[in-house]
Amino acid sequence: MAVEMDKHSLLESFSIGKGVVKPNRKVYIVEPGSIKKIFHALIEKYGYESFYLSTLIGTDLKDEGKIRLDYYVILLPEEETIVLRTHLPRENPVIDSIIDILPGALAGELETHDLLGVVFNGNPFLKRGAFVPSDLVEKGVYPLRKDSGV
Amino acid sequence: MKRPKLLEQVLKSLVSKPATVQFPREKTEVEPDFRGLQYADLTKCTGCSLCSIECPADAIKMTSIPQEYEAPKTNPRRLYPLINYGKCVYCYRCVKVCPTNAYIVSNKFDLAGFTRLTSEQFSLSTLKKVGA
Amino acid sequence: MSKVVEIPIVTTEVPIGPQHPALHEPIMLKVYAEGERVVRVEINTGYNHRGIEKLCEKNSFYRDIFIVGRVCGICNAVHANVYVRALEQILDLYPNKRAQYLRVLAMELERIHSHMLINAVMAEIIGFETLFMHIMLDREKVMKAKEILTGGRVMADYMMVGGVRRDIDEEKRSRLRDILLKLKPRVEYYKKIFEEDETITKRLIDVSRISYRDVTSHGLVGPVARASGVKIDSRASDKYDAYGEIPFNVVTRNEGDSWARMMVRWDEVLESIEMGLYILEHLPSDGNPVPDEKRLPRKFPPGEAYTRVEAPRGELTYYVMSDGKGQNPYRVKIRTPSVNNIINSGFMYLEHSLADVPVILASLDPCISCMERVTVVDLEKKTSYKVHLKDLAGGRV
Repeated sequence: MAVEMDKHSLLESFSIGKGVVKPNRKVYIVEPGSIKKIFHALIEKYGYESFYLSTLIGTDLKDEGKIRLDYYVILLPEEETIVLRTHLPRENPVIDSIIDILPGALAGELETHDLLGVVFNGNPFLKRGAFVPSDLVEKGVYPLRKDSGV
Repeated sequence: MKRPKLLEQVLKSLVSKPATVQFPREKTEVEPDFRGLQYADLTKCTGCSLCSIECPADAIKMTSIPQEYEAPKTNPRRLYPLINYGKCVYCYRCVKVCPTNAYIVSNKFDLAGFTRLTSEQFSLSTLKKVGA
Repeated sequence: MSKVVEIPIVTTEVPIGPQHPALHEPIMLKVYAEGERVVRVEINTGYNHRGIEKLCEKNSFYRDIFIVGRVCGICNAVHANVYVRALEQILDLYPNKRAQYLRVLAMELERIHSHMLINAVMAEIIGFETLFMHIMLDREKVMKAKEILTGGRVMADYMMVGGVRRDIDEEKRSRLRDILLKLKPRVEYYKKIFEEDETITKRLIDVSRISYRDVTSHGLVGPVARASGVKIDSRASDKYDAYGEIPFNVVTRNEGDSWARMMVRWDEVLESIEMGLYILEHLPSDGNPVPDEKRLPRKFPPGEAYTRVEAPRGELTYYVMSDGKGQNPYRVKIRTPSVNNIINSGFMYLEHSLADVPVILASLDPCISCMERVTVVDLEKKTSYKVHLKDLAGGRV
């Protein structure tokens, strides 16, 4: 339990806000720049065995002009779900990739890139058209953006 | 190493009758409440279109009742749900949301045939013809 | 200065799939082999994509219940369950105990038949077709049980906000119990075959052994993780529906190879049968589990919910966001277990022989239709050999 508190205080030291997703998932709102630092710190301090990245969810918040990225991380061995939430500008959504330190991020980063156009710096596998049909790729449309017209 | 008696099983299956059902010639047993073909009883239907709005497969189209049939007074717009069974996913959402419980359900599932099957025949047969 | 002599290594590219006798669903493994040894695998997908997340945004909350049930045929009840629970979280509306127990029963029946299916497929892939036929025959009993419970042999359409869509009576209860009791000795028998038969053990043991660290760093879930000793099971940690009250064990093994993954599945089937019998024995009767679908709330308040469920293949998560403005959800994100288990699994094939590739893929229980709402191309991180390969095999990528 002591270790558990440590993980949360580590996350808290990076967070600029807090929230909650039902049912009871703690949300730490962080700067886009600190995502990679957080994962680095988690690996450094507790090792690869202490957590896994469950999901990466991108949401287009058109009215606020932002794209929201949620990293859903499961802390082991208690299996507690926590959320690292960050906001990127909608016009130029760029963030550092974490694939070089956490290979499990591959699926999420590729998908978010293809559907929402978020660019993950340092991910060599990013590719348009892996998911979206080629006619939409040619138009440069990101289907999950609310104004894509798809 | 001790081997499990798979051979015995195999020989037993060899002499017992086949487990498969020779479908069109032999009837497959389904439960009486299996989700099969469903259609609207037009004496109860009010033509409210709720089932058509709620259908997840867009299989229901509200169609007007032909002139030669007597529509009930509760259905002033003379509409009835026409189910395209080729599109229907048999989730029974229409059955459950119907405000007048107008749907008749069955466990009929063998719908393959040479013509495109819709609920037209089934639904209209619940109405009387004009003058009949 | 010494001269570097480069010895050319002949690498053969062997495409497995998208249509291939060893595969049951469209996926393409581009396998690069030196002789028989696999040195690199590219996992290409995209043959089955439907865009369900976008479809969900364009349909109403209630229509989506049936749409998400059709993401995957084998695990449709868990998909519907996790989505419905997300809606319940947003609405603050919860089902009664009886409905929760019935939901668990439907999901456990699904786990039984899904695990039996993949074990049968594994037997078929290694050429043991007699066993495949036998397992499939017994699996038919479970399909019948599902039909009795839900009204559909495959498509359950059983979950609804605030409960389930049909109740069971005493007669159905005893029939379900009979089926489960009949099934139990059969499953024990198959488990014994998987433990003892040389045809199976020689092909599965020591194939693609993965460590605890590989599992967590690559985000693998479900029986794959549990076979490597990672005790993750959202049934035990989230305690959703009635899982907090029904006793069960989380099955783990420490071998981490393909055989262990199959054995975890057999043990889970036995656990699920026990749970099913417990539910039928202790089914609470605190009111009607079937909500009136006409009276369910039409308006959804703004809110977001993230729910997890332990699908037969592992942790399945849904994120549903409602902006409170219309009839449709603002965002639905589906992350199926196969996304993690297949796309991130490129490293598992390395250093094994070509003939092991279908075995390894089957041991992951791939569900392509689940995965293919999100189509991704994985290029394993390497182009020049040796050094990188060792890194890959060590999970340091």
